[in-house]
Amino acid sequence: MNDGNNNKKKRSQPSSDHRQQPPQQQPQKQRAAMEEEDMDEDVFLDETLYEEESQVLRDMEEQQALASRLFKWKRPALSQPYQSQSQSIVFQQLEIDYVIGESHKELLPNSSGPAAIIRIFGVTSEGHSVCCHVHGFEPYFYISCPPGMGPDDISHFHQILEGRMREANRNNRVPKIVRRIEMVQRRSIMYYQQQDSQPFLRIVVALPTMITSCRGILDRGIQIDGLGTKSFMTYESNVLFALRFMIDCNIVGGNWIEVPVGKYRKSAKNLSYCQLEFDCLYSDLISHAPEGEFSKMAPFRILSFDIECAGRKGHFPEPTHDPVIQVANLITLQGQDQPFVRNVMTLNSCSPIVGVDVMSFDTEREVLLAWRDFIREVDPDIIIGYNICKFDLPYLIQRAEVLGIPEFPMLGRIRNSRVRVKDTTFSSRQYGTRESKEVTVEGRVQFDLLQVMQRDYKLSSYSLNSVSAHFLNEQKEDVHHSIISDLQNGNPETRRRLAVYCLKDAYLPQRLLDKLMFIYNYVEMARVTGVPISFLLSRGQSIKVLSQLLRKARQKNLVIPNVKQAGSESGTYEGATVLEARAGFYEKPIATLDFASLYPSIMMAYNLCYCTLVTPEDVRKLNLPPECVNKTPSGETFVKPNLQKGILPEILEELLTARKRAKADLKEAKDPLVKAVLDGRQLALKISANSVYGFTGATVGQLPCLEISSSVTSYGRQMIEHTKKLVEEKFMTLGGYEHNAEVIYGDTDSVMVQFGVSAVEEAMNLGREAAEYISGTFTKPIKLEFEKVYYPYLLISKKRYAGLLWTNPDKFDKMDTKGIETVRRDNCLLVKNLVNECLHKILIERDIPGAVQYVKNTISDLLMNRMDLSLLVITKGLTKTGDDYEVKAAHVELAERMRKRDAATAPNVGDRVPYVIIKAAKGAKAYEKSEDPIYVLENSIPIDPQYYLENQISKPLLRIFEPILKNASKELLQGSHTRSISISTPSNSGIMKFAKKQLSCIGCKALISNSDRTLCSHCKGREAELYCKTVANVSDLEKLFGRLWTQCQECQGSLHQDVLCTSRDCPIFYRRKKAQKDMAEAKVQLDRWNF
Amino acid sequence: MEVDTESNIQRKQSIYQSMDESFEIQKEMYRGQQYSQIYFARLHLMRTLLYSLVPNWKPHLPVCTVLGLEEGKECIIVGTLYKHMKLKPSILDEYSKEKSAGPLVKPHNFIHPDDHLVLEDESGRVKLRGNVLLPSVYVTGLVVALHGKETGAGDFWVEDILEAGLPNQIALPLKSGEDKYVVFVSGLSVGNSGSNPLQFQLLVDHVTGHLGDETEQSIAAQIVQVVIAGNSVEIPLGLLNGQNLASKDQSKLSEPIKELDILLTQIAAGVPLDIMPGPNDPANFSLPQQPLHRCLFPGSSAYNTFRSCPNPHSFELDNVRFLGTSGQNIDDLEKYSEAKDKLEFMERTLRWRHISPTAPNTLGCYPFTDRDPFFIESCPHVYFIGNQDKYATRLIKGSEGQVVRLICIPRFGETGIAVVLNMGNLECHALSFGTEFSS
Repeated sequence: MNDGNNNKKKRSQPSSDHRQQPPQQQPQKQRAAMEEEDMDEDVFLDETLYEEESQVLRDMEEQQALASRLFKWKRPALSQPYQSQSQSIVFQQLEIDYVIGESHKELLPNSSGPAAIIRIFGVTSEGHSVCCHVHGFEPYFYISCPPGMGPDDISHFHQILEGRMREANRNNRVPKIVRRIEMVQRRSIMYYQQQDSQPFLRIVVALPTMITSCRGILDRGIQIDGLGTKSFMTYESNVLFALRFMIDCNIVGGNWIEVPVGKYRKSAKNLSYCQLEFDCLYSDLISHAPEGEFSKMAPFRILSFDIECAGRKGHFPEPTHDPVIQVANLITLQGQDQPFVRNVMTLNSCSPIVGVDVMSFDTEREVLLAWRDFIREVDPDIIIGYNICKFDLPYLIQRAEVLGIPEFPMLGRIRNSRVRVKDTTFSSRQYGTRESKEVTVEGRVQFDLLQVMQRDYKLSSYSLNSVSAHFLNEQKEDVHHSIISDLQNGNPETRRRLAVYCLKDAYLPQRLLDKLMFIYNYVEMARVTGVPISFLLSRGQSIKVLSQLLRKARQKNLVIPNVKQAGSESGTYEGATVLEARAGFYEKPIATLDFASLYPSIMMAYNLCYCTLVTPEDVRKLNLPPECVNKTPSGETFVKPNLQKGILPEILEELLTARKRAKADLKEAKDPLVKAVLDGRQLALKISANSVYGFTGATVGQLPCLEISSSVTSYGRQMIEHTKKLVEEKFMTLGGYEHNAEVIYGDTDSVMVQFGVSAVEEAMNLGREAAEYISGTFTKPIKLEFEKVYYPYLLISKKRYAGLLWTNPDKFDKMDTKGIETVRRDNCLLVKNLVNECLHKILIERDIPGAVQYVKNTISDLLMNRMDLSLLVITKGLTKTGDDYEVKAAHVELAERMRKRDAATAPNVGDRVPYVIIKAAKGAKAYEKSEDPIYVLENSIPIDPQYYLENQISKPLLRIFEPILKNASKELLQGSHTRSISISTPSNSGIMKFAKKQLSCIGCKALISNSDRTLCSHCKGREAELYCKTVANVSDLEKLFGRLWTQCQECQGSLHQDVLCTSRDCPIFYRRKKAQKDMAEAKVQLDRWNF
Repeated sequence: MEVDTESNIQRKQSIYQSMDESFEIQKEMYRGQQYSQIYFARLHLMRTLLYSLVPNWKPHLPVCTVLGLEEGKECIIVGTLYKHMKLKPSILDEYSKEKSAGPLVKPHNFIHPDDHLVLEDESGRVKLRGNVLLPSVYVTGLVVALHGKETGAGDFWVEDILEAGLPNQIALPLKSGEDKYVVFVSGLSVGNSGSNPLQFQLLVDHVTGHLGDETEQSIAAQIVQVVIAGNSVEIPLGLLNGQNLASKDQSKLSEPIKELDILLTQIAAGVPLDIMPGPNDPANFSLPQQPLHRCLFPGSSAYNTFRSCPNPHSFELDNVRFLGTSGQNIDDLEKYSEAKDKLEFMERTLRWRHISPTAPNTLGCYPFTDRDPFFIESCPHVYFIGNQDKYATRLIKGSEGQVVRLICIPRFGETGIAVVLNMGNLECHALSFGTEFSS
């Protein structure tokens, strides 16, 4: 269909670009929808398409190599039944969107004009790509029907509304904007109501975007004869069209859809590059629930890619200046463990790489177009990479713009349609605000592993290097972008080097995807919550709950009001409770009683829902009998299930039962792929159940209801208090128990109890007894569970503790810590190591004096300048340039200083800046004392141990030791070990320029004449001893040098090439550098002995 | 009694020639060079050699580089092997891993069934498959020629292997009928609390002819050379942590060295003596280890019979060529590959024509820039390694008439065994010293 060298044609016929432009923009205009005027140019589209294809065929003949590539790239050919349309089409859908097009004349003979056409993209189990155009589904919403409105009034109302809509959409050529208004019986989800249903008006409009303008008109008020100006509350007017379609057709994200034979028609003209493209009616779709054989995954194609750009010295690559020099691609079929296509496109020649298809081009234009053609031919369903959404994709597109290649950004599945880039900010209570670029590639799901990591994991650093070190347990070679240009400007060998690096970067996202089962987990999440997969990354939690709520409401004939987003400050309520922590070091077992899914259980137990909430007004009016309502501790009233069963509790019940089932199936399952699906599902179900509570409390959300969320937390608080009371009352010596139990701490959903017994097993038995006893006093399904014992347990303060965790009495499972500085990225590694080691000594070895000694030794090492520099490096991201920061920050100042030293290697915005704090003049500000670790190493600049002592290690240490030692601060930070210090002499300070270098005795540092070489006459007798010392030092360094540098060879995967890596996230980067320098010095020192 | 002149036994002598020049790094400097250069030098050296052998091996096959491989085409490629090892310890783990609760069980080596080999030249790597090339036998850093073809998956299917083979040997001097002995000893471990000072004294007395009757003395007189192959002293390493030593500790440190010096002085007074450094000696760590400093031996270094040598060490005695190490090269091979005994490892290194292919990968070594001193240019007649568990020896023969005596020298401090080699016929026996007499 296409060729790898489109540009050849383009260059020989420069006019063709111009000729192609109008039709290219065609679909884009169509989609822009609301203010479009002209849409009848579809004819154009056809002609160009044909011409392009015949052109392509000729090029293909010219290029044999390309043909063999295409053979490898292509999807499997369609079988006869597919070709003759004698087979139903069953496919797993991955992406659903809609376009505005002419309504289908054959399928919908009664309508005309533009209509919204749903497009479903997916893959069949044979691996064929599918583009399904669904016709006949119309956008609609509800308003409540004013009382006394008859059929005549409705048609009158229809006319008025149509008139108002015409005014607002003047340029629209839709024959009828408001298609229909029907009276239906529905009920609002809000508040308990005694009557079953009321009349509502269902307003059907022509195009999805018209809902918004129609809502605006109705919100502001509309003049109706006999009623005056009236404004209407709209219902379900904020539901995205694609989601509306999915809900009404019972389609959930990532499920299988069947279009029976005879119910679909092959599209007259192929608008997409999909193998199976057809039209059908929405009512003919069969949506399969993801169960049994329909829980499997289709073999979709996953593209993992990475680009390299040749930046100028001192600048981060910018698309306006810096060329794209390489693109590495890997294509993997879902479910297989090896990619089946590996290739790299390079600018300028590149030596071959085994197992990789290297495609070299002379111009950047060819590289870009080759990539576009590759995408089109190989037709990936999912595009993954690391930071592709913010960097790689926008860069490619902007670069193509700069180079003037209008035909480049056609990467989607729709012919002649371009990829669009827009800036978005994604803001959510849970994930915080993140700026990003949204690149729409039609029909392909983008899955940026960086975004996923930032969402799903709390890590100290999100660089690809540290993420792969964390999850895959391997270090990634990191080539600094200033070196990339040098490699590019070298020869085919150096470019090959770069290509290998680029390929590695392209492979890592795929491996992360496999390792962390993201495909399974995300598809399952989409299935559970019912939203398209792409929503999961681009939107917050609330859309997922809303989707479930809408589905459930539809079954119950309820409609959901579109509540105006009220101001957020009104929405504060008392949060979860935390019982006072009795800080201390507990050397007796501490049993932990946990509420299993506390918040969901509370909502179920007390029937908390929108539709069970009784307004204060109604409480007075309805006079409900007290046995039929629950009054929550926060003062709200909810009816009990016998009057009205809540929707939220029902959703939660279903989620939790489904989770139980998934977990049970998981135990049975043998096939690892089935297991992966089930595990992903149970996880998705758990997360979804927990996010329901958050949805009701999200004040800027879709349907906040603080009455519910504050009731939930108030019950939660009550339960914790209740548990504490019961435990302490029952487990007393008076009650026949050996000791008095004591609750030492309680968090949101757990209570820590010291039963006083000293054996783990006894504590476990009592814990189980307590859990059972207390559970009995709660309304079902609220349940207290006993899961684990901590022994010993170091409780520092609320939300900060550490302990050994036991789930069986014979052996502890692990060391569990919370809120203790082991992962914070502001801290240097020294803090992490120190804290870990101390906890290890205290908890596992039970050696408190040993821990104290360890701290003292470390502090002494720090003061004596024996500390490994890499342990002292602090890293911060440089997000803006210096002028933009209001407060002077150490890393920003350093970046400025480094720029003055050497602009080429200085960190740029977006880089992470590692620094150490050095000794400076008295009174210097902290931000002036930052320095580049490499510079410090090279010039032997003394670090400031006091800073590290006071600002880095003292606080976390004292936190740990205060519950253990009486006067920890004095003992640890001021003892005799802090009295001897040693500072290295900087080699570049001012005074050293005037110093005369003279040899000193290796033994006693006395100055000696040059003729003596090594020792003064006094030390001559200790020659052997002093030599042993020198040589032992050399020996240690050699050991280290060898191990460090061979490790780097290992990571880079080559023995014959020098190591280039400059990954500062790597734990051995500074050590390697230091070993090199120390080794050179030690060797010189040793050579002094050879007289 | 006329014992003065007639019965005065004359010690035999041999002509000694040092071949250690390539193992010296006095003039070398650390200038920021990396290990890629020694690999490059090795590949270059050995590839030239292997290319010259290919016409006799498989003349019909084309020779390719890793880059030039084409799917399905049979060819020969030459490159450096790299072994992916699952269990290989990594320095990264020491820095980044969380502390595990239990102690690790240490395996005797790092072999795992999943290990696999790749071949690398300057241009690229290719994964090796096939049944002829056993990952458990080969190690990283070795240069070989392989016959095979690229598979569809981008791997190289190996059909046959060509190693460099034994190098040429200078002719063994004609049998003079005269017996001359060389005594090898290693692992004296003077200063080790468990070692018996009397054993070493007995050895010294035997070598110097102070022991036994005239027959024994006349045999002792035929000893022309003593070689000490590493680990002569044991000094408490804990003392060398950079701090100044208290005078008590100073003596703890220097006492064993002084004791060694006294005994060595006795030997050097009578017999030429070569001393090589080993992993425990006060010497540098990476290969080639440089000679122990003369300042450690104020007594013995006064004799011109005392020679402090590097490790590895190579010399000629009456045109018999010796090559040996203090054992690190073979011990490292044992950690990363498998063989039925130490002698087999030794034989392999000879056939690979490289003393220590695992350096620098797992064995510390100086980052040479333009040469690889561990390449064996000429086949030794005697190849010895020190500090082994037990005495073992074997004579191997090469296809071109080469004859090599392989010797594993046991740790003397633990076994009381020294090894005696007769240069006349390359025969070899153990010399055992016991101080406990059973009645």
